[in-house]
Amino acid sequence: MSTRIALCGALIAASVCQVMAQTAAPPPAWQQGRSAEQASSTLAPVAGKLTATPASELPIDKLKMPPGFKAELWSHGTPGVRAMARGDSGKLYVGTRAMGRVYEISDNGKERTSRVVVDKLNQPAVTMHKGSLYVMAIDKVLRYDGIEQNPNVAPVDLTAKFNLPPEQHHNWKYIRFGPDGKLYVPFGAPCNICALPTQEYAQLRRYDADGSNMEVIARGIRNTMGFDWHPTTKEIWFTDHGRDWMGDDSPEDELNRITKVGLNFGFPHCHANGIADPDVKKDNACDGVTLPVRTMGAHSSSMGLHFYTGNMFPAEYKNAMFIARKGSWNRTKKLGYDVVTVRTDSNGGNAQMTPFLTGFLDEKTDAFYGRPAYITQMPDGALLVSDEQMGAIYRISYAKP
Amino acid sequence: MPSRKSIRTTSRTLAAAALLFLTPHATAQIASTPVAPPQVPLCTACHGANGNSQIPLTPSLAGQPKVFIENQLVLIREGLRDIPQMKGLLDTLKDPELVALATYFSAQAPAKPAASINREVFDRGRVLAGKMLCGSCHLPDYSGRQQMPRLAGQNEAFLAYSMKQFRDHAGLGRDTVMSASLYGLKDNDLADLAHFLANFK
Repeated sequence: MSTRIALCGALIAASVCQVMAQTAAPPPAWQQGRSAEQASSTLAPVAGKLTATPASELPIDKLKMPPGFKAELWSHGTPGVRAMARGDSGKLYVGTRAMGRVYEISDNGKERTSRVVVDKLNQPAVTMHKGSLYVMAIDKVLRYDGIEQNPNVAPVDLTAKFNLPPEQHHNWKYIRFGPDGKLYVPFGAPCNICALPTQEYAQLRRYDADGSNMEVIARGIRNTMGFDWHPTTKEIWFTDHGRDWMGDDSPEDELNRITKVGLNFGFPHCHANGIADPDVKKDNACDGVTLPVRTMGAHSSSMGLHFYTGNMFPAEYKNAMFIARKGSWNRTKKLGYDVVTVRTDSNGGNAQMTPFLTGFLDEKTDAFYGRPAYITQMPDGALLVSDEQMGAIYRISYAKP
Repeated sequence: MPSRKSIRTTSRTLAAAALLFLTPHATAQIASTPVAPPQVPLCTACHGANGNSQIPLTPSLAGQPKVFIENQLVLIREGLRDIPQMKGLLDTLKDPELVALATYFSAQAPAKPAASINREVFDRGRVLAGKMLCGSCHLPDYSGRQQMPRLAGQNEAFLAYSMKQFRDHAGLGRDTVMSASLYGLKDNDLADLAHFLANFK
């Protein structure tokens, strides 16, 4: 049974892994849900880059922002950089996917140097909490206590406490500690589109820091790769990737808000602003589903989400969300490849999305020069943006023009 | 004596060719038979002259997409993709050296398949490859692109072995998309696919 489920993970196609029959093997998951016109499509995921990119090949001169903002190269030579976590002493820890590495980047005020803290992990994500670095891979959880002071500290292996499910696909992580001191961890759907093989997927959980007291706080989440807490309401807001192979413009990625424990965000039956899934069918598919605050563009790959709380940027950015859209592949013309701001009322009303950092994509030729993935804030109010494709981090600052 | 039509076609072709020569892209291509990096003999000892392997379970590198070779070299160096025969071989190589090797082997011409074709097996493989939509990512001529390898003309035994690995070991360094793509296929299906792809021209 478990091997069958394992093979239900088709990112590339609409794999409708209907509840697996015990005896007869279902048809190959990969091709289900793809219409006849799509059978000849050559859309495929964008290749990740695992080699270091020289500074001269980085798109820093192409980047565009509103007046007064400036982008500069902060660090580079760290292939695959994704979510960043800053320690109290100023060291930056960064996770990756295929590279399997966690980087530590040190800043002496003038320049940055990096080292690999740990490697050979299965798609590790990072966060910092009370001086400890937490690393969570698909199949492993490690804690490095006091790592900023003691770079060679041996990790404490917490894996057994977290009871991680076996599926790989969409189970790479984004992890954060919330204002409640709990560790928030998503468990993605192990397919493009499927009835879940078992119920421990497509959900967001929280744990005590040691892995105890697990609680599922929301369900129906296909693949969230970014969340943050509203600075005043302390509610958690998250991005979620929509399914593939339903056409260029549907369904869009989502920006969601969790107002209480136990909400259902729709997967696999209901997408975006209430689109019933054509493959995993259910009557009244969107009944009881919490619809998004707003949609974020079809296949745009909306990733890191950060509420701005600094004082460097103009007042209109206070409490605004910065969202990195890594960019589409399952679409005939590319979309995303930017950082946008979203401003809303604190209850999610009047959500306005505005481009903020652009220039990674040449819309005329469909060529791209980088893929912004995550955002973190520095003590001076500047933002760091990681470019997963180029293995670089850019610093975004503001000075009155 | 060529007809008027063919003359016109010829001159147009020539004009197009001349234009090609003038574009920077074309210049780069013409100048781009890359010089063999110093590590090439170490590679070709197993992967064959110009990266066309004669050893059944050792893949050919000639004409593989550059990004594919780069990424695999990194994964092997980092120990994420475990290939016992290559353990340690890449330890001292830096990224630019891996990129140079990838550039070199991606520019080599893949040898034409010479094995004798079993028409029945080949046809079964062709039908299955169509049904499985292999050409979506690997392209309809199975020449591969970006991170997705060339399958056409690859060693048959290696193709069969590699597909079994994907099907049975969805783990570290394995691509979850590829594992899902082979869902439900039996060993003899994989053998049919391997025979078809290895002999695809």
